[in-house]
Amino acid sequence: MKAMYATALRLTRNPHDAEDLVQETFLRAFRGFDGYTSGTNIRAWLYTILHRARTDALRRSSRVPPMEELSSDGPGLPPPQDALAGGQEDLARALDGLPESFRAAVVLRDVEELSYQEIAQVLAIPVGTVMSRIHRGRLLLRKTLGGRRP
Amino acid sequence: MSCDPERITGYVDGALDPEARAAVEEHLASCPACRDQVEFERGVRERLRGLPAPTPAPGLEPRIRRRLAAEHASAMRWLLPLAASLTLAALWTRGFAPLVAWELARDHAHCFGRPRLPAQVVSDDPARVSAWFEDHGTLLPVIPAHAGGLELVGGRYCWLPDGTRAAHVYYGGEDGHLSMFVIARSVRIGSGYRQLMRGENVDLSRLGGLTVGLVSEDVNAIGALRERLTTTVASRAEARRSPAD
Repeated sequence: MKAMYATALRLTRNPHDAEDLVQETFLRAFRGFDGYTSGTNIRAWLYTILHRARTDALRRSSRVPPMEELSSDGPGLPPPQDALAGGQEDLARALDGLPESFRAAVVLRDVEELSYQEIAQVLAIPVGTVMSRIHRGRLLLRKTLGGRRP
Repeated sequence: MSCDPERITGYVDGALDPEARAAVEEHLASCPACRDQVEFERGVRERLRGLPAPTPAPGLEPRIRRRLAAEHASAMRWLLPLAASLTLAALWTRGFAPLVAWELARDHAHCFGRPRLPAQVVSDDPARVSAWFEDHGTLLPVIPAHAGGLELVGGRYCWLPDGTRAAHVYYGGEDGHLSMFVIARSVRIGSGYRQLMRGENVDLSRLGGLTVGLVSEDVNAIGALRERLTTTVASRAEARRSPAD
């Protein structure tokens, strides 16, 4: 429950929305438990439900997570040592600042440690898109943490 | 290979096949920018994993447990009747005599309890009632026009819990009512089954390859009709044997 809440909060950035999302996730999981395949990653199954619940909630409120186009990866990136020099608060703030589609991919990979295949299942996107979103999310983090506007 | 930042991300996450991984490693040896990317991505992964998990409000878990308990209770409200129905259907399918008797008694009370008897054929003529059922796929035993002071009234089909149907023949009169059910499937009744069910006498027996159920509040009327039916079936069997003798 704590891990689900942490992920929900990182997605919604709002404690009230995160609690609603966790509650909705567990209710849906309870109602659809026969949809779980024994022997598979139950966390990935729960995150799939959480993500669907989040998508439905956004659709109901007509809010679409903004997508961010990056111009290029080109020159001007801060050195890794500089970007990694900040504290946990800086990192948490930078993570919160990512567009939701990138943030979800980065959180599922780097915090929840799901595989690319599992993330593809959770987010209902191809594995190649998972790699792309994680890359773009980390790139934005590097730019933000290095003190430059992405 | 030239710089491919997305593939570098896949490399950091161990998501590449051996061939692609080898190509990336070869490229990294000569590309400081991509080595920086690897260093940053490995570092940020480690730091992200170290972020403290936010703690939910203390009330969240009890609230979810209450909702799940309510959901469970709600599910049980329809699951229990469903389970009971399935059990009844299974018992019926196995020809469990008490259940069959109970269902026939229920249908008897249901039909005779209505202001107007639900009949698909209305007649006091045994030949006409038998012909109607025969036209609809059921061969009745030879039925009498009256038995135990009750007269033939008509009949209809009624549906049984396993989805099959039974021919339901009505007898009525001043002194009461009687139902005769003819069921095509076998019921485990041994030499016969007699029981008081829902306040009605129920008599199940095998006659000429058919299961016949008689239901009435008047046990004498049941006895009279059973005797008439048995005599008819016996004389029919005798008649069938005679030409071969």
